[in-house]
Amino acid sequence: MTNDNIMKLQTSKKVHYDSGPNMTPMVDVVMVILIFLMLAGSFVGSEHFLVSNIPFSQSGAGDVKVPPGFIPDEPLDIRVDSPTPDQFIATAGQIRTGDEKVLTAALTKMRQNMNKAGKTDDQIQVKIGPGKKVKYRFLVQVYEAALNAGFKKIAFATSH
Amino acid sequence: MPNIREGGVNVTPLIDIVMCLIIFFMLVAKIGIDTGADQRISIPASLQELDIKDMGNTLTLNVVPGPLDQPMITALVGGVVQELKLVDPATGQKPLLNTLKKFRFGHDLKPGGTSDSSDNPEFKVIIRGDEDMGYSYLEPVLITCAQAQVKNVNFNTRKVTQ
Repeated sequence: MTNDNIMKLQTSKKVHYDSGPNMTPMVDVVMVILIFLMLAGSFVGSEHFLVSNIPFSQSGAGDVKVPPGFIPDEPLDIRVDSPTPDQFIATAGQIRTGDEKVLTAALTKMRQNMNKAGKTDDQIQVKIGPGKKVKYRFLVQVYEAALNAGFKKIAFATSH
Repeated sequence: MPNIREGGVNVTPLIDIVMCLIIFFMLVAKIGIDTGADQRISIPASLQELDIKDMGNTLTLNVVPGPLDQPMITALVGGVVQELKLVDPATGQKPLLNTLKKFRFGHDLKPGGTSDSSDNPEFKVIIRGDEDMGYSYLEPVLITCAQAQVKNVNFNTRKVTQ
């Protein structure tokens, strides 16, 4: 092999031809899409919902005709008052508390006792009866306590 | 073909990461979905974890205390956020009740009917209420939902960590 040929071989090893697509415009576009999605997107996860299938229940018997054979649900009334604007008092039977955890525990016991007495969860109707001035956030706490206690049918009643 | 020498950085890992990020954002981000929810309202907090899957069949009612001890209710109806009064003093109509009935029962506003007047039993209402308002503002909204025979009413809350 001559010196000239060796020289040519070394040069060809150093030079790389740019084969394949030019990635620069694609990277530009992809970055723009990424920045758009990051700025424009609102994300799932900061809010959720308390679900109710029976949102409202009229207090009092009224004059609704009950169909024959109809078995009414076992009512459980929770009265909610607000002695001061920053606190609530929930009263259900013998329980009287302003703490959500205590209320949850007490309602759980009540539900278990009702279950023992032969009433299934579907046959118990919880009615939350708030005063007019009771704040919505306290009602959500009481509602959540009833949900956490395992009740399935929870409704708000007319105010007292 | 001209001789181009390869120089600069290798962009392949960058593209891989950026593509992964794009797919992530496309999956988790909600773009262009307007439920009419008023983000200025301070909603109550709760620990319960529940999300609504079918947001297409819902109507979000923003409820805040209004003048004359009446609630001010707004909702996205027909692509526009508008106020839905309990009773319109000028006409005597009940815009909130009529709107709920329209979603629930179709254009005829009563049970039964077909096509445009067909019932929508799965229709859901989301109440987005101010956490400091009294029950007197919420009560008429719930009564109206009951009158419109909306069975599924959900209370929008914000997540709190224990």
